[in-house]
Amino acid sequence: MRNPTGSPHLLVAEGLSVGHGGAPVCAPVDLRLGAGRALAVVGPNGSGKSTLLRTLVGLLEPLAGTVAFDGARVDERAAAFRRDVAAVLDDDAFFVSLTGREHLLLTARGHGVAAPEDVVDAEVAAFGLGERADALPSALSSGQRRRLALAAAFVRPARLLVLDEPERRLDAGMRARLAARLVSLRDAGTAVLFASHDPDVVGTAADEVLVVDDDACRLLAPAEAADRIAEL
Amino acid sequence: MSTTTGLEVSPAPLDGAAVRRLTRRATAARAQTTLATRLGDAWGGLVSAAIGVAVAGGSLVSLREEVALAGAPVTGTTLPASLTSAALAVLALAGTVVVLARLGPVSATPAAAAWWLPLPADRRGLLRGELLRLTAAAVAVAVLLTLPLVLGGAPAPTGASVLGGLGWAGSLAAAAVGGTALLQSRRRGRGVADVAGVVAAAAAVLPAVAGTLGAADGRLLDVPTAGALPGWLLGAGTVAALVLIGQADRGLGRLDAGRLLAGGATARYAGASLLSLDTRHLGRALAGRDRPPRRSRRFRRARQPWQAVVAGDLAVLTRGRWQLGQLAVAAAVPVVVARTEGLGALPPAVWAGCLLGWGLAATAAGRPAREAQAAPELDRLFALSAAAVVRSRAVLPLAVTAVVCTLSGLLLGVGTGAAGTWTLLGPAVAPAWAAAALRGACRPDPDWSGPAVSTPMGVLPAGVGATLVQGVDVGVVGSLPLLAALLLGGPTPLLVAVQLAWSLLLAGAVLAQLGRRRTAG
Repeated sequence: MRNPTGSPHLLVAEGLSVGHGGAPVCAPVDLRLGAGRALAVVGPNGSGKSTLLRTLVGLLEPLAGTVAFDGARVDERAAAFRRDVAAVLDDDAFFVSLTGREHLLLTARGHGVAAPEDVVDAEVAAFGLGERADALPSALSSGQRRRLALAAAFVRPARLLVLDEPERRLDAGMRARLAARLVSLRDAGTAVLFASHDPDVVGTAADEVLVVDDDACRLLAPAEAADRIAEL
Repeated sequence: MSTTTGLEVSPAPLDGAAVRRLTRRATAARAQTTLATRLGDAWGGLVSAAIGVAVAGGSLVSLREEVALAGAPVTGTTLPASLTSAALAVLALAGTVVVLARLGPVSATPAAAAWWLPLPADRRGLLRGELLRLTAAAVAVAVLLTLPLVLGGAPAPTGASVLGGLGWAGSLAAAAVGGTALLQSRRRGRGVADVAGVVAAAAAVLPAVAGTLGAADGRLLDVPTAGALPGWLLGAGTVAALVLIGQADRGLGRLDAGRLLAGGATARYAGASLLSLDTRHLGRALAGRDRPPRRSRRFRRARQPWQAVVAGDLAVLTRGRWQLGQLAVAAAVPVVVARTEGLGALPPAVWAGCLLGWGLAATAAGRPAREAQAAPELDRLFALSAAAVVRSRAVLPLAVTAVVCTLSGLLLGVGTGAAGTWTLLGPAVAPAWAAAALRGACRPDPDWSGPAVSTPMGVLPAGVGATLVQGVDVGVVGSLPLLAALLLGGPTPLLVAVQLAWSLLLAGAVLAQLGRRRTAG
């Protein structure tokens, strides 16, 4: 029923040019990401990683080229797309009157997760939020708010998980646990796409690395990309 | 049903309305307010609104009585009051559409965009509450603003005429929301704002042109009077508005997250500016993005630092989406007021029209200075003293206000027999308005620590008021010789000379003060 093209790839971008106001921010991108694979996007600040991710999840229109998810053109308005794709980008927005736990419960219930309280409790513990989960977002530190936003991606089902610099504002221990979570998700069959500046997270979780640049965007194996990441 | 993340999910997750309810209940559970405090707030709001309506209605009645007793008009009046009223209504409606289109009109707060929109719930259900709230707010504001007009604008208002006027205002406001939301769902929001902006400018400029042409012939424009509009037409208008709202509701599912988030950010910025009474930020929020430049400027003619400042200001002004239309309206408003039957016979009304129009011109001309005020490091780029930067930054406002005021004066003078003197009045008053533009742009942020003054309409922060009038105050004081000219029946060469000297004196004082302030800062 799904994926009418029969392609084994969940996310496919061809000749994708991304940018703002008609001006591309990086070279055109071609990528294919299948279920159970993880792709890291690396590049210096301002190279267009976030713009690329926002375009891939349908929040920005491509300047040229195409993006398809599960064989159909990406349309973030479609309920099926939103059911299948979890994205944590650079947003730091919360309902001021809802606690962290309520945000997670809202997300879990909105996705029809069975036993949402148990799932939320587990993720609250996994992301080290503990009792702070019952505080309002304004009472959380920026790192705790980041953990909360990331936890929301794990209390719901997703076939594709997209994260923009998930390591940002996290301590070293949390970064390592996050990388391990990404690996287990990937191994369970979820496609994972993330932008990162952290060589450890990239080395642990990624099967392939897309290096974004003005001149050309290249796909490399993590070992090949290690030097490039270190330069950044 | 199991997923790759190992989570069991129900085949029927929450729908949009249920997500809204869940959020609302969680919020309400933590709310500090009680029913009594809400009722108290509502009562206080109603009383304030009633006082405002009464004051505005009373002012209109007083104006009508003054018009009835007025003598000869300052310039020839050629526009029937009904035509000016219709133009004002079109201007208000077009302005409303522009604001609605800028705000979305349907938008999502950053929190809603982050937590609601990624859910597989139906987007229509998620956004329906926003559309209904927006419609209710627009109708309420339209009714409140129209009430004093229908009560005080007619000699003998009847129940039917008042209800009819309010019905039209409410229907038009609802239709504006429904229409813009419908176009938003079809991705034509930006286009409708541009069209409405052109309509708004035309609603001011066309009557000014018609009034001036009529003055050249020395006759009142012959406008057919439609009389009271039949009730069935109001009914049809209401039905049309409801149909538009219904269609917009159906299109809510087509709204994409990026635009909803952009609209939400604009609404949040505008709302915060409104609450903090900072009109500069409000203008920035509602102005939207500039036109994308067709080509990069090279500023070849800027060979001196001061020329670079002027060239940069000119680029900022011409790239503004609304500035040129605003300048056209600014030149037209004094003409429309002076040429309108009744109003034109009241020198204070004509003066107020000049203040309004030229104030608009100063606001448009001051935009580059406002931008520079928001990024003061730009002023330190060049080898110019702080005082020299201020003087350089005055060049463009002076040129712009001189053109606008001269055009207004030229059109006001047609048919008066003193066209030359009227025309000279423009450049004579322009320095005061250029100084007003700069002073308004460089005024400090509102001071909320000042004393509060208790009034029948609530507590007003006097410190904020003193800050907000900075800029306008120079324009008003600088135009006092013009008021004298209007009261004496028209400008004379002596009054024009006095006006010029007074404007230059004020402008010099403002430039000196701003130069000192920047040097000190």
